[in-house]
Amino acid sequence: MIFIAIMVGCILGALVGINLPIVPYTYSSYLAIAIVAALDSVFGGITGVLKGEFDFKVFISGFFCNAILSILLTYLGNKLDIDIYLAAIVVFVGRMFINLTIIRKYYIDKWSNKIQEWKDKRKQLRND
Amino acid sequence: MSKKVQSLILGLMCFILTIGVFVQVKTVNNNGTTISTNQNEAQLRDQVLKMKEKYENSYDKLQKAQKELEKVRTGVTSNNEELKELEKKIKEANMLLGMTDVKGEGVTITVEDGVATSKTLSKVDLIVHNVDILNIVNELKNSGAEAIEVNNQRIVGTTSIVCDGNVITVNGEKISSPFTITAIGMPELMTTLDRAGGYLELLREDNLKATLTKSKKINIQKYTGIMAFKYAKTIS
Repeated sequence: MIFIAIMVGCILGALVGINLPIVPYTYSSYLAIAIVAALDSVFGGITGVLKGEFDFKVFISGFFCNAILSILLTYLGNKLDIDIYLAAIVVFVGRMFINLTIIRKYYIDKWSNKIQEWKDKRKQLRND
Repeated sequence: MSKKVQSLILGLMCFILTIGVFVQVKTVNNNGTTISTNQNEAQLRDQVLKMKEKYENSYDKLQKAQKELEKVRTGVTSNNEELKELEKKIKEANMLLGMTDVKGEGVTITVEDGVATSKTLSKVDLIVHNVDILNIVNELKNSGAEAIEVNNQRIVGTTSIVCDGNVITVNGEKISSPFTITAIGMPELMTTLDRAGGYLELLREDNLKATLTKSKKINIQKYTGIMAFKYAKTIS
């Protein structure tokens, strides 16, 4: 269910994105960091759904706060001539990997349980 | 919250995300470069280096061509009296313009930025300015210098000595402290620059380093730039 929604969202987004005009080059670094923040939010959201603790308010506020903070950091970094946005990227991508681990473990557990059940059923059938 | 709403929100998020990704990819592709400005800078530096190399190669070629021209000219003029006279005139004109290497006796002046001490009020006073070089060159000319050079830049009729931030531009080339000014002429006359109350002493009073040495053998290179008249025409 979640993955179908994500796929549909991606396809629609791609179709709309292709037809949109480009952003000015100066702002493209801000857009890039916002994309990384959004990606992090999506992974966080999937993890939340799987764990059953998904909260709409936390999700949306998290996305906007992360994106705005990272954009501000990028701006500050531009002014100070330091690549501070790298710090934001490290945090986001690190969290993405952690979330990916949780998602992976969830599905491994689920499927190995299913396989175990299937094997048990066959054993029972044979015994009968 | 039902699973439907959750999926809807995540789908919407992905929708926004992919729009962003596509717009960003398009922007980056359109500009043809990566976001990093450092890389841009490195590329520009590379270009400058390449240009310099090209210039040097071209200059070498020009040098060779000039030598060949000289050879041809001497070959042609060696058995014709009239042409020999003309050849001599060309050489003289080139010497006047500063287009030939020259040697002779003269003086070497070195001027260097001062070192800050506890008494220094302003660091600006410790720097050799373009005006200092200009004044020295002017005084050398006044005392009959026939050829002058500042840090291997020949002073010719079109030379400008300009302040260019923390360096000085002579003949369009940047030079910096220490400055070595060599001049060919009568050494006794030119050493008057070092007299009590002279310009070099004024510089030394400002805590700059300035020395003048007489020399029997001074080599001065020719002017390597281009001298061309675009607007001036001869009146005959």
